[in-house]
Amino acid sequence: MLDRDGGLLRGTLDVLILKALTWGRRHGYAVAEWIKSITDGELLVEEGPLYTALHRLERNGWLTSEWGYSDNNRKAKYYSLSRTGRAELRAEVASWERYANAVGKALAAASPLPA
Amino acid sequence: MRRVFRIFGTRQIRREVDDELAFHLEMRTQRLIEGGMSRDAAEREALRQFGDVNGVRDNCVSMDEARERGMDRATTIQELTQDVGYAMRSVKRNAGFASVVIGALALGIGANTAIFTLIDATLVRTLPVQHPEQLVIIGNPARTNSSSEGTPRTDMLSYPLFRDLQRQNHVFSDVFVSGRTGRLDVRIGTSGAELEHPRGRYVSANYFAMLGVHAAHGRVFDGTEDQVPGASALVVISDGYWTRRFHNDPAAVGSTMLIDGTRMAIIGITPPVFTGDIVGVAQDLWIPASMHDALAPPRKLLDDRNRNWLLAMGRLKSGATLAQAENDVPRVLEQFIVDNAPPQARQAFLASTPKYWISSGAKGFSRVRVTFQAPLLTLMIGVGLLLCIICANVANLLLARSIARGREMAVRLALGANRGRLVRQLLTEGLVLAMIGAAIGLLLAWWGSRALLALAGGRGSYSLDLGLDVPVLAFTVAVSFGAVLLFGLAPALRAARVDLASTIRSGATSIAGGVLASRGQRAPLGKLLIAGQVAMSVVLLIGAAMLVRSLRNVVNVDTGLDRAHLIIADIDIGSRGYQWERLSTAARTIHERIAALPGVVAVGYSENGVFSGTESGSSLEIPGFVVRTSSDSNFAYDQVSAGYAHAIGARLIAGRELAPSDEGGLARVVVVNQAFASFYFPGASAVGKYFHVSDSVTINIVGVIADVRDHDLMEPAARRAYYPYIHHDVQQGTPVALRVEVRTAGDPAALVQQVRQAIGAADPNLPIEYIAPLEELMMTSIIEQRLVAQLATAFGTLALVLAAIGLYGVMTYAVVGRTGEIGVRVALGAQQLDVVRMVLFDALRLVAAGLVIGLPLALLSARLLNTQLHGVGAADPVSIAVALAVLLASALIAGLIPALRASRVSPTQALRAE
Repeated sequence: MLDRDGGLLRGTLDVLILKALTWGRRHGYAVAEWIKSITDGELLVEEGPLYTALHRLERNGWLTSEWGYSDNNRKAKYYSLSRTGRAELRAEVASWERYANAVGKALAAASPLPA
Repeated sequence: MRRVFRIFGTRQIRREVDDELAFHLEMRTQRLIEGGMSRDAAEREALRQFGDVNGVRDNCVSMDEARERGMDRATTIQELTQDVGYAMRSVKRNAGFASVVIGALALGIGANTAIFTLIDATLVRTLPVQHPEQLVIIGNPARTNSSSEGTPRTDMLSYPLFRDLQRQNHVFSDVFVSGRTGRLDVRIGTSGAELEHPRGRYVSANYFAMLGVHAAHGRVFDGTEDQVPGASALVVISDGYWTRRFHNDPAAVGSTMLIDGTRMAIIGITPPVFTGDIVGVAQDLWIPASMHDALAPPRKLLDDRNRNWLLAMGRLKSGATLAQAENDVPRVLEQFIVDNAPPQARQAFLASTPKYWISSGAKGFSRVRVTFQAPLLTLMIGVGLLLCIICANVANLLLARSIARGREMAVRLALGANRGRLVRQLLTEGLVLAMIGAAIGLLLAWWGSRALLALAGGRGSYSLDLGLDVPVLAFTVAVSFGAVLLFGLAPALRAARVDLASTIRSGATSIAGGVLASRGQRAPLGKLLIAGQVAMSVVLLIGAAMLVRSLRNVVNVDTGLDRAHLIIADIDIGSRGYQWERLSTAARTIHERIAALPGVVAVGYSENGVFSGTESGSSLEIPGFVVRTSSDSNFAYDQVSAGYAHAIGARLIAGRELAPSDEGGLARVVVVNQAFASFYFPGASAVGKYFHVSDSVTINIVGVIADVRDHDLMEPAARRAYYPYIHHDVQQGTPVALRVEVRTAGDPAALVQQVRQAIGAADPNLPIEYIAPLEELMMTSIIEQRLVAQLATAFGTLALVLAAIGLYGVMTYAVVGRTGEIGVRVALGAQQLDVVRMVLFDALRLVAAGLVIGLPLALLSARLLNTQLHGVGAADPVSIAVALAVLLASALIAGLIPALRASRVSPTQALRAE
């Protein structure tokens, strides 16, 4: 869920990062930009927490990292999903969908009693 | 790449995080610049948008560090598991080799653990009571079985002194006492039951409460038993006694037993872990000290200020220290002595600096501790050296093995294993072998320590807690690790230093070449080990030789007795209650009967006698004799028959022996020994002189006999006086024991049976405790020395055998390496004898190297043995010569076989082998 300022709560940030890396390795800046752009600017990522999250996910074993060179030839740290990271992402996506469905049903209710 | 990261640590991690964040900030800055900002404004905005850079950096760094640590841990565990797996497989593959190594290690580690178990049990363990560290002993902790009379002492206490101590001290929350019971005559069950003699102790009523020992069944003394002396006919028994004698029958509590004629009720049983306050002796039962006078007539001790038979222990108040006790207790003791000692003793006391016996009570009282301390430490050094020698042998074996594995190592290195890891793997193999050896060694130690204790027990038996506890386990592990380092490190390093190319290239027959690398090396490591083994063997051999010689000196000491012709019998008069007239009649009758036997030269009887284990002591005053220390007025005494000196073969020096006419009256005449005479009457004849004992009783000296070593082969005779056995002196008291000394013409062993029968015929009522030739008793009295000498000899022999085997192995090896050289020499005209000489010299050079190290070490350690050596100096030339001779002989034999083999090498054979 979103907090008042349109920022992300911690659990959500994690799953977004995992998703961001689905198509291959990315560095932290790219992940931040992807989240902003894919949500049409709705979700603003706080950069500090993003990096904290990246390191945390790596410590948990869901991400692996390596150093490489960016498009403009700067040294950058690239993250990728590990095998367990992919599994975690699948699990998170499934539970998000269940959650969203459930809330959606409740919010779409037309009458006070179930049909 | 990650492997590279691992070694760099925090600085690298920090740098990386900085780089990562810097990249992000730079990208953000670029974007802002593209949006039209200036560089400065863009950088500041980027920072602002990011937030707390430092905080984030710190978070990331700590998470990365945690990750690294986790990975390190995982890798290390993984590698260790791998290594252990390799090691186990390797052990299984070479089961034969492994069993030899494991067996040797088990022996070495087991021996060390066995000795340490004994050391732990006697010197380290604390009593299984509450807060043993708060306990303080007042008195000499080794005097657990003594009693003395005449004047108050500082090493043993009287009952009134105990009471004063209880009331007048400032440092203890309470004080208890514990004292010997002497032999208890106990009947359990029906009145016709057999007499038994459990081990008992008199204790004050607060004993169990103070130690914090609660009854496992029933109850223990609650502190009221002292209030009315003689009223509390209660006894507490130990769990061991309850199991042995009552077979864990719960009805034991509440039942009664007859102790020295008094019916006492068993009120409780202590927990199994508690066996009393004396280390080395397990108590069977405890009796309130206040019952003493009711149980053991006629000696009334409870009010006697000059009868010292108790040891005390106090528990420090919270906040009090041992140092405070050392200041406070002497105050009370001194006051008591000043108030109660006879005048001359008091003077002597005040004039001297008296020794007060105040020490920590955590480890309880113990005589065994004193007896065992030196022998155990000697044995510890011995087994330690033995283990080193064993490790050297194992190292040699491993070295030989590593040569065979040279190929395996080389291939592994070629495939990229790093040498450090290889060394670690080999060490792990050693560790696995050592751990298996240690496990078996623990079993050996369990058995060995008990066996050793039983052997040392001699006539009685010692009781020590030899269970596995933390110090023993820690010791075993430490010794195992030490052993692995000793025997494993060098071979592992050597194996890992394999020269890859030449090893893999070389064929099967000279894999040796790979490890030995260059021609001149010829197993220098092996030779070093042998030199070390020789050095340690020298130490053991010289030590053993010294101990054996010392033992011989002790055994052959001039005792002043006719030791080869004496039989000693101990007759149990106490259980039959023989006193005064009845005792005199019995003694005389026995004397007559035995004297009538053919082959008997003389018969004597006494209260303490010769090598019986008991002694009586008293103190005297002599007008004109100035007493310098309180022990100056102490003397030992015995009550003996007329003609006693002749009976035991002691020489009469002056005056006369006790005669039958001296018997029967008051005991006012004595014969003294030379030590007594020359100490109290130097320069003059003691005959005709006199001395005073308690209450101004005057004793006249009628004769002087030569000093006799009648208790201890090692200590010179104490000052001794011999009173008549048969007398009516109530003050002196009727003798409490009857020992008979029979002097024979021929071999005493032949007459033992007849003497036994004669005693039986004289009075069938009296059981014989034991009857044996004196030599047997003497040998039993030095059982520890004999044991140590025997073990030292065994260690020395074992060390020699191991070193010889090692030497043989290394020389064989060296000869193989020199085959070419020998072939050339023979081709150039060398004779067989020359070759033999060459190899033997090589061997002797090794031994010499070992001697150079070993001899000074041996002399140094001999100095440690000093207290146990009698008549043997710390640099005894005979011992050294004998040890060296044996060593050289073994070395020559060990080197001879390889030498002979070398001499049979033909030149063609040698050259072909190249």
